[in-house]
Amino acid sequence: MSPTPKVRVGGLRKAYAGLAAVSGIDFTIAPGEIFGLLGPNGAGKTTTLECLVGLRHPDEGELEICGVDARRHPHEVKQKIGVVLQTTSLQDKITPREALTLFAAFYRQSTPAADLLARFGLVEKADVPVERLSGGQRQRLALALAFVNRPELVFLDEPTTGLDPQSRRELHELILALRRDGHTVLFTTHHLEEAEKLCDRVAIIDRGRIVATGAPRDLVAASREEQSVTIRTSPPLGADVFAALPGLTPVVVDGDTVRFQTKDATATLAALTARLREQRVEIRELTVRKASLEDLFLALTREGEP
Amino acid sequence: MNAVFAHLRISLRLHFRNRMALLYGYLFPVIFLVAFWVLYRHEKVPLLRHMGELLTVAVLGGACFGLPTTLVSERERGVWRRYRLTPVPTWVVVASTALARLFLLVTAGLLQLGLALALGMTWPAHPIALAVAFLFVAFAFIGLGLVIAALADNVPAVQALGQCLFLPMLIIGGVAVPLAALPEWAQHVSAFFPGRYAVEALQAAVNGRGFPGMRFCLLALSLTGVAGLVAGAKLFRWDGQQRFAALRGKAWLLVAIGAWLAVGAVAEWRGRVAIPADLDPARPAPAPVPAPSPSAPPPIASAPVTPIPAPRAATASSPAAVTPNPAPAPVLPVTPAPPWMSITAKDWDGLDYQVPPDHGIVTPMAAPDEEPDEYTKEQVDKVRAKLPTWSPGVDGDDLSCVRNLLYVAAVPDAIQMPVERYLPRVVYQYLLDSYPRENLMKMLTYIALHPLEGPVRDDISELGIEGAAGDPMLVRERAYLYAIKFLARLTGRKSE
Ligand SMILES: Nc1ncnc2c1ncn2[C@@H]1O[C@H](COP(=O)(O)OP(=O)(O)O)[C@@H](O)[C@H]1O
Ligand SMILES: [Mg+2]
Repeated sequence: MSPTPKVRVGGLRKAYAGLAAVSGIDFTIAPGEIFGLLGPNGAGKTTTLECLVGLRHPDEGELEICGVDARRHPHEVKQKIGVVLQTTSLQDKITPREALTLFAAFYRQSTPAADLLARFGLVEKADVPVERLSGGQRQRLALALAFVNRPELVFLDEPTTGLDPQSRRELHELILALRRDGHTVLFTTHHLEEAEKLCDRVAIIDRGRIVATGAPRDLVAASREEQSVTIRTSPPLGADVFAALPGLTPVVVDGDTVRFQTKDATATLAALTARLREQRVEIRELTVRKASLEDLFLALTREGEP
Repeated sequence: MNAVFAHLRISLRLHFRNRMALLYGYLFPVIFLVAFWVLYRHEKVPLLRHMGELLTVAVLGGACFGLPTTLVSERERGVWRRYRLTPVPTWVVVASTALARLFLLVTAGLLQLGLALALGMTWPAHPIALAVAFLFVAFAFIGLGLVIAALADNVPAVQALGQCLFLPMLIIGGVAVPLAALPEWAQHVSAFFPGRYAVEALQAAVNGRGFPGMRFCLLALSLTGVAGLVAGAKLFRWDGQQRFAALRGKAWLLVAIGAWLAVGAVAEWRGRVAIPADLDPARPAPAPVPAPSPSAPPPIASAPVTPIPAPRAATASSPAAVTPNPAPAPVLPVTPAPPWMSITAKDWDGLDYQVPPDHGIVTPMAAPDEEPDEYTKEQVDKVRAKLPTWSPGVDGDDLSCVRNLLYVAAVPDAIQMPVERYLPRVVYQYLLDSYPRENLMKMLTYIALHPLEGPVRDDISELGIEGAAGDPMLVRERAYLYAIKFLARLTGRKSE
């Protein structure tokens, strides 16, 4: 029997003033997993996460976190989790040491401020007011605050958005260290590479629904035989040109560039170039490569777009 | 409890790191006090009689602006959202923020009080009652601050809303402008603002009767405080993106408004809207116009409020009439008739009876059936008992005696003592009992026509009334006004 999942979400729905932001989401996260919620802006990642951590009341659905019914006992859940939100900030004049000491007083159990300062590389900035910290340092402080109560589970909402490349790399290292230490983490991102690099498992979310779940490797493997083709033409092509071609997975048209996947690139390209010659369309650029998670992501999230 | 303490400590630390907050919290009350002191330093208006107002303004500023500004700016930047992710209950953070504010208000109050003492204010009459009153005032206005924080979506809105409550309370709410100086409608309006009860309660503790004089005020303040706390808690938003307009349960605001209306209605019903007697000492100086200094030449018309008209009827004018502070009238062995004997009805009919009202600040006079509170009554009775043996009132010529007796009414008025409403009544009665009506009218008229004649008596401490106005012109002016007031009664212009 597998251990109790740290997170179990069933049929989660949430609408803002009648407009659905999340419409029926299910997933589970096993202990020790780094789980990525991957999706474009506005997909409903933040809404999902904020429902889980008790900031928003879901319209419907079951939420179980660390074995506790999160809708019934939100306070119990808050004792066990740590959270970094996309948009919060502390008082300008508070120092990292003070913030960590303050937040420690809010929980039943806590880690000493000094330990967290060391672990998140803030020792030198321990007594500097937050207003004088860099973006990366602030983000590390936010992360340290999420760990103040020795959480069983950590939620990170787009933790790397808005950081410079150096800070982003540092944060990646921290998350990888969390994985090594056996922490369970749910984080959201719209960066594919990030998900691919850090996550044990990802759920791809689009317009309030999960469109694929699995380990990044498995998701890519499912389309391993496929190849990704990008073609730029003059004049631009419409999707109708590709309708007649066999063995194509979703076609993405972006201006004069078209992207699609195929199991047999040679045959598809032969048929396509023949057609283009007939229509006197000039090929400006053509690339063929093995499909990546990005292709899958784009294919899944652009599906059904007008 | 640990959380309350931790958040209280950090709130205070952050406050003391915030220069603007310190400016508003401490410098503002100090400036107010010093400005008041500088403005009125020539008039002997002791700070003691205005501590109620000064303390109220300090608390009002801290609670109406300071508290909600902190709360709203933290909410806007997402601090409260972050707290919300921890198991700490909302009330813990709100309560510790309010406690921190209370600490700041108390220290600001002590600073103000300490400074006032350093500037020569005497020790408050009821220190324990003052501490209690201050806590009630702080509680009421912290409740108000929470309501403002709940209503305002952002910091500029706090400023706007705060001003909407602060200014009316200052101007027509009895906080900065004396109720007695306000038109009657404004006195009624003030009954609906808690500022008035704050001033009353504090002033009763500073130089009034203490607890007995502030029961209704404490009740009014706790009611507004509790209502503010309830409404503030019910309307509390931790999410800066949530707008007040979009909030459910806006009706809780009615609790806060309801409390103000209820207090005002009860005050109206119990008839305590007209300026109550024990509020008198709380009235500030008449107007922020510096009075002439005693050494300045005496252009009478520049006296603070009511200029003494230049004598109109030249009848019976003596050479001494316009000489300020002449030597005591020489004893004239040969002249049998004193100058006032030639005064006729024509003279008193020619006087200007346009004087300040009896319930005003300047020359107040209690109604015949008005009962002072016990503390004041004791003093009034003491004076009444001593008058018949008071040398300046019985020895010497009649005119000097009458003039000296007028000063018994004028001095307490000039320094705004609690007894000022009642002593004129005592003096009037004593004069009626001591002189034939006709003579009394003549002498009062003579004094009204020659307000600068005779020596000024600024010290009536032999009668048990401590204090001196230190401003001869002011005392002369008030004595003149009382002479007119007595004449109005004697001539039937005013019936009682
Ligand atoms: N407070 C809100 N009120 C109304 N609509 C909202 C609110 N927050 C988010 N939305 C909408 O819900 C959808 C999902 O948003 P969000 O969960 O923030 O997506 P993501 O985090 O994936 O970018 C978006 O269409 C967004 O415009
Ligand atoms: Mg988001």
